[in-house]
Amino acid sequence: MDQEKVIEIKDLTKMYGNHVGVKDLNLTVYKGEITGFLGPNGAGKTTTIRSCLALIAKTAGEITIFELDSHKDAVAIRKKTGYLPGDFGLIPSVKVRSYLKYMLSLRGCDSTKKMISLAKRLELDLNRKTNELSKGNKQKVGIIQSLMADQDLIIMDEPTAGLDPLMQQEFYRILREEKKQGKTIFMASHNLAEVEKVCDRVAIIRKGQLKVVEEIQVLQEKTGKVLEVEFRDPVTIDELKLEGVSEIQQDNGRFILTIHKNLDSVIEAVSNHQILNMSLKTYSLEQLFLKYYANEEDPERGDA
Amino acid sequence: MMTGRITYMELRTGLKGLLIFGLLVIIVSAGMPLIFPTYRDALTEELEGANKVDLELPNEQGGMITLSWEPLENATSYMVLEDNRSSMVTAKIKYMGNETSISFEKDFEEKRYYAVMAVLNGTSDPILIGIATTEKGEDPFQELMKNPAYAGFTGGRNISMLEVKGFITFEFFSWWWMLAGLFIAYLSVSVIASDFENKRMDVMLSTPISRRRYLLEKFSAMSIIALIIVLAAMAGLAGGLANINALDEFSAEAVFLTLIGCLPFLMVIAAVGMLTAVLFQKVRTGMGITFAFVFAEFFLYTFGNFSKSLEWMKTISIFKYWDYSSVIIDNLFKTGDFILLTVLAFVLIIIGIWVFEKKDIPT
Repeated sequence: MDQEKVIEIKDLTKMYGNHVGVKDLNLTVYKGEITGFLGPNGAGKTTTIRSCLALIAKTAGEITIFELDSHKDAVAIRKKTGYLPGDFGLIPSVKVRSYLKYMLSLRGCDSTKKMISLAKRLELDLNRKTNELSKGNKQKVGIIQSLMADQDLIIMDEPTAGLDPLMQQEFYRILREEKKQGKTIFMASHNLAEVEKVCDRVAIIRKGQLKVVEEIQVLQEKTGKVLEVEFRDPVTIDELKLEGVSEIQQDNGRFILTIHKNLDSVIEAVSNHQILNMSLKTYSLEQLFLKYYANEEDPERGDA
Repeated sequence: MMTGRITYMELRTGLKGLLIFGLLVIIVSAGMPLIFPTYRDALTEELEGANKVDLELPNEQGGMITLSWEPLENATSYMVLEDNRSSMVTAKIKYMGNETSISFEKDFEEKRYYAVMAVLNGTSDPILIGIATTEKGEDPFQELMKNPAYAGFTGGRNISMLEVKGFITFEFFSWWWMLAGLFIAYLSVSVIASDFENKRMDVMLSTPISRRRYLLEKFSAMSIIALIIVLAAMAGLAGGLANINALDEFSAEAVFLTLIGCLPFLMVIAAVGMLTAVLFQKVRTGMGITFAFVFAEFFLYTFGNFSKSLEWMKTISIFKYWDYSSVIIDNLFKTGDFILLTVLAFVLIIIGIWVFEKKDIPT
């Protein structure tokens, strides 16, 4: 891989007393990519991110960001990094505009152009008081805060939490535009569908250990789609053994097909029958773990 | 990055509270001199009452003491209390009856105080006619000064409450530290600890602001607030003194020097508040410990006045190094103490930075 590395985490371990935050974690985030950091709640995503930003001390390991040491050169790294925490508070009783201008000034940036355009796109009223915001609006303030100073690296922890679906779509568009401008984005999420939508690469963490790092297409091929279908006419399992279908389960006249390839031709074949009911789903994160990684012993496997 | 942004924001968000508190400070500091003339008149009247009781001492031990007083109209009976302190807190009843003169044997060495009271027709509470003492030329207030609890406020110096200097020392400076000190303690803990509690620290420290700079800027804000409070007190006190034409007794310069001496004292409290805030990261814990620190220091200073053997306690109390009564009574501003407190404040902040840089930011 010749791509430029922006974040390089080597053997990161963080212990909270006897409790493991993360253990021997290795992860690389490449320049110009959106890297999803996927895992259930409590897996160690936030711990990893906050170690990168030197908000917490490491127990062991090394983190290099922009070829600088995450803890020794923290201030220099933060000049080029935007951050949206998973949970954050705002300064109360000031206008959103003043709050954001203040944060801009701490980042040494004078231009409010991007702040204003982001607020417009996310439909956030900058004249509202910070303590009068709903959860969703507060999250928008956080998103704008992380993006407005136009930094090279943006680290986000559960960025869409509290956003309604329309706003989520707008947020994904914004992220793709940021990427087009050459930004590197490292984004923690517990939502596989979300990661699939915007990320180029995904790292999956569970119980403090990195399970897999994969390019998103590879992961999609592995995970595939789940098609649940009920037919009006009798259909045998053999009729559904099509190319691309990796697994078929039968349950009271309902068929559950796991499809990895040729989704279009499978759907076409299925539609030759009279369909009573049909749904197509992406694997949930938990299903993904159960299916592919539950018995995984070697966390290095699948490093793309 | 412009330096002073955090300081500025802290002052801006705290402006309303600071204005209200500043106004309160001006009112109480100006009010104290204003009530002094009334207080002095009432006290003078009370002290004159002491002359209404006459005490005749025998020349030798074992002779008779004669106590006599003017009869009061409506008085049904009189009562004499005896104690070895003017405060009469451990007084015993020496006499009850209709006489206006009593004699008894002097069978003691130490000094005694006698309070003569009259029970009036139709009332149940006796009223004080006056106090007499076996000590010649003793002012009951000078006696009071020897009480260690009071001596602390004057650094053991004798001072009269009939003078504006004495009055301001007792009625203003004896509690001013609590008003200003606890306000600064509260603010300095909460400006840091609430950033932890309200989860503002993550965003703050994701900007190119180092933890050192964050703490120093917050400390600057606290120092500026302390200065504003001190200036408000100066303005109030000087204004009040000017109003009662007492600036020749208690000069504007003395007002300035007594209160400016309080600035590093408040900065030390602010530094302790910030240190506990980064250590415990909780408003309540930090506040409790900082308040306890201020009171502990005060008690150390008070206990240090109890006896020579306890004097070491004073040296570890910050109250010793803000000696306002030295300025008021001896016209002496202790520059060394001023510098010592300032240095202490910065040492504490440096420790605070060191602790802050070691600690994880909680989620």
